[in-house]
Amino acid sequence: MNTLFAIATGVMFAIGVFQVLRRDLIKAAMGFNILFTAVNLLLLAVGAFNGTSAAYVDDANQIAGQPSDPLVQALLLTAVVISFGSYAVLLGFLAVTSRRFQTVDGDEMRRLSG
Amino acid sequence: MTFALIVTASFISALVISVFGARLRATLQGWLLALVMVMLFALALGQLPAVGDQGMTVFSVAWVPSLGLNLTLYADGLALLFVLLVTGIGVAVMLYGGYYFAHEDKAEAARFLALMMAFSGSMLALVLAGNVFTLFIAWEATSIISFLLIGFKGKKDESARAGASQALVITAGGGLALLVGLLLVSAATGSSEFNQILTSGDLLREHPWYTGIAILLMLGAFSKSAQFPLHFWLPGAMAAPTPASSFLHSATMVKAGIYLLARFSPVLGDTSLWVTALVGVGLTTLAIGALFALVQRDLKAALAYSTISQLGALVALIGLPEAHGIKAAMLGIIAHALYKCALFLVAGGVDHATGTRLIERLGGLWQRMGGFAAVSALACLSMAGVPPLLGFVAKETLLEAMIEQPILLAITVISAALTVAMALILFWDVFMGTLRDAHIREHFHANPRLLVGGPGILAAASLIMGIGIEPLLSPPVSAAAGKPISLYLLPAEVNLALLLSIGALAGGAVIFATRQTWRSWTVTPFISGERVYRALLGLVEKAGDMVLATQNGKIRSYLRVILATVAVLLLLIIPGEISSLNRLTFSVSGASDVLKGLLLLMALSAALASVLFRQHLLAVLALGVSGYTIGGIYLLEPAPDVALVQFLVETLATVLLILVLVRTSEKERKQAMERIWHQSRPGLFRDIAISVTIGLGVTVFALAAVSHRPTPNPISNWYLANALPEVGVNDVVGSIITDFRGMDTIIEIAVFGMAALGVLSVLTRQSPGRVVRVNLFRRMAPVEEVSAPVETAKEVQRANVLNPRDNPIMRTVASLVPPFAIMLALAQIFYGGSAPGDGFTAGVISGLAIALSYVVYGYEETKRRLRWLHPAPLIGVGLTLALANAIFPLLLGESFLAHLSVYGVSFAGIHLASTTVFEIAIWLTVLGGVSTIMDSLSHPEEVETL
Repeated sequence: MNTLFAIATGVMFAIGVFQVLRRDLIKAAMGFNILFTAVNLLLLAVGAFNGTSAAYVDDANQIAGQPSDPLVQALLLTAVVISFGSYAVLLGFLAVTSRRFQTVDGDEMRRLSG
Repeated sequence: MTFALIVTASFISALVISVFGARLRATLQGWLLALVMVMLFALALGQLPAVGDQGMTVFSVAWVPSLGLNLTLYADGLALLFVLLVTGIGVAVMLYGGYYFAHEDKAEAARFLALMMAFSGSMLALVLAGNVFTLFIAWEATSIISFLLIGFKGKKDESARAGASQALVITAGGGLALLVGLLLVSAATGSSEFNQILTSGDLLREHPWYTGIAILLMLGAFSKSAQFPLHFWLPGAMAAPTPASSFLHSATMVKAGIYLLARFSPVLGDTSLWVTALVGVGLTTLAIGALFALVQRDLKAALAYSTISQLGALVALIGLPEAHGIKAAMLGIIAHALYKCALFLVAGGVDHATGTRLIERLGGLWQRMGGFAAVSALACLSMAGVPPLLGFVAKETLLEAMIEQPILLAITVISAALTVAMALILFWDVFMGTLRDAHIREHFHANPRLLVGGPGILAAASLIMGIGIEPLLSPPVSAAAGKPISLYLLPAEVNLALLLSIGALAGGAVIFATRQTWRSWTVTPFISGERVYRALLGLVEKAGDMVLATQNGKIRSYLRVILATVAVLLLLIIPGEISSLNRLTFSVSGASDVLKGLLLLMALSAALASVLFRQHLLAVLALGVSGYTIGGIYLLEPAPDVALVQFLVETLATVLLILVLVRTSEKERKQAMERIWHQSRPGLFRDIAISVTIGLGVTVFALAAVSHRPTPNPISNWYLANALPEVGVNDVVGSIITDFRGMDTIIEIAVFGMAALGVLSVLTRQSPGRVVRVNLFRRMAPVEEVSAPVETAKEVQRANVLNPRDNPIMRTVASLVPPFAIMLALAQIFYGGSAPGDGFTAGVISGLAIALSYVVYGYEETKRRLRWLHPAPLIGVGLTLALANAIFPLLLGESFLAHLSVYGVSFAGIHLASTTVFEIAIWLTVLGGVSTIMDSLSHPEEVETL
């Protein structure tokens, strides 16, 4: 099953990269979101896989079954939060640049042109 | 200590003049600084008896002790001679500088004089440097200040800018060679301090690196002292105001190279390389400089070439074996500094009065500028080497030093004759005869009377020191040479040197007399360093053009290049990794796995759909579906905490994206979207190839990772066993977030807060040209209850996307949601220990409620309704609380972020502990962050500039 996840991660990544390369910056921004998801999926596939119960102990400090790896979950939580933060900044820049250049077509923003 | 005072006093007066100088008259500034120089000169003179044969470290402060780097001053006769020279000449130049700027802006004068003073501080530090690092820093400081002074008029004067950058490139380039040379010296001798380097005897001469060291130091010295073929920057430096030219580019800074060679000649000199290079380069420079000087039309350019020529003589003298030339070199430095500086100052006065420096337009100025004529006469006599002036003695000793080598002697005598001719031209053609140019006659502009004072002092010094040479100059020259030297004005008997000197005078007179025939010749340099420099600059420009040609400005192309590079690298790595994937298993067990597989398929399809949809809103929604599905996978893992966060964050991300859609014009969006579908076939295939390759690489990487996963993970087992006993919560993930890895979480929320403030700062309203001031405490002024709808195009377009504002049901729901959301948030915080949810989810939930308000009510009404909400400060409150909570245990003797259950209340299943406070802090930070982002993105005003 985790093999399947690994492959899915790669496919997700390919979709994200393709999306990031679109000239429509809104689509490119979405591509970043897909890439974030792909990385999180990878973290899950590599780390937390194979659990049968949530990582909650009962009041006697016992867990029934194989708990899902809590460390990877904690890492995932952080990853999700931070990627959202950077996504927000990305969108902020997108909002400003699209207003500044009066377009959302990345190829029309040629300030870097030599 | 005295020497440290001398150096710092210069810098301090530079600072004082730069701050207060603009309030004083320029002449007063000049007088004050001249006074400072007089005091420094006197201080240095007082040290003359104390400086013994051996140099010594006189001052040392540890600078970077761990690197053995100290700020050290080292004084010996050589250093002292230069200190006297800098401060002595400084008196005249500062005095002159004040009057030179008398009719100009006071602030300009202050800027100029402060730079000059800073220069003299750097120059003093250079000659007094006690180790190679101090020396190098001071060396570079003089280069930089020289750059600033040459470019002083750079705002208006193109040639000043060109001259300044040319001088900087050459001297700083030489400085780099010097740095490497100095580092090699300290590596070879094992010390960077001069008192050890200079007593290392033959160590350096016999060291395998000797050749490299010598060549590098020579390069540094030659570039600074304008030796052929690096000489060309000096004429270009004449764009500097004349006081700077006289001080830096004739009397002092250009002698720094001479100083460096003299400083190192006890340990590096006397080898065939040293002698050949110095004498060869020096005499070439001597001859070429003297020759070129004669054909210059510009007074200052002639002086510059003549300076180059004299510097060449000095370099050759330092290079002579067994320190034969040291006496002549020291005398030459003093004599040249005095007369050449005076001549520069005279040239400045002439320029000031007539508005031109072209020699052929001048003449007959003695009638109007008697004082300057007299000064020029004295200085020119010294330059020509006529007794009883100091220049005469300098020339005698120069000839004596060269007397044993016929070829060297011949070059020296010919150059001396050329110099005599130059001196005659400088005096005669400028001051004698009649003033031919009617324009100058009519527009003559009298100088301030005391302008002649500065050069007057120098010319008088040339005379006095020539006559009183024995008592006046013997002590410093002896100290500098490190051996007793007897100086005399006239030799006891007529010797060869005297005869040659007379011959040179006669030859110079003949050359001068025939000047009408050869002045019109144009001498083309057979090899020109300047041409090489230009060619190199041209190459740099071409390289720049080539780089620019690759910049098409499309962000996507840059990204594509980066990603394609990654793809190529992956292609190289993938084959090697595939073999390690033999442990892979494909096992599907149970309904849960099947469900996961289906969700996976759905997530991928939704992501693909977001690529393929031709409408932005649909694509955004598809993306949201994909994210939600991933959340479902987390839930099946089972990882309920992650799943909850994923659902919430995905919702928020979708809202943000829709807000961006609202902010952008629909026309522009449609246009951009349409262009995607008109991508050329090869472009499409290229992008697909890049994506597929990278996807393949990631797949291989992921497969390798899952097949090498270490199981079971001991760290996780520790967390599972200790969450309840140590933190008192059932939620192991929560215990990691809020306690075991609490520091990570503090950093995480700090990053989140920063991201939110980043969004705020890029989207803050501002008027063009105004300073960006992010108003953290932005609060809306009260607006009338219902503002009249403005039917702008943007409003209409916004209404198309979402128009819930007039919908009463929506309005009611939106007003009810925030209180419930906050209740929900509190529940998550207090019961997070035993159930999914924590401070972060609480923050996002309440943030979503705020987001709903923005969507339903719009910006202004939301601001009015939620007046209590100050998003950005909330981030600060949250972070402060988190830090306070983390620091509090320290007061109780516990460790940072230690778990405290001292708040020990427990009711209704709520356990209050330090983790609870932490959760609240996280909640506040995240709520602040989310609202800040919402607030910024939904702000209706035009965002004007980046």
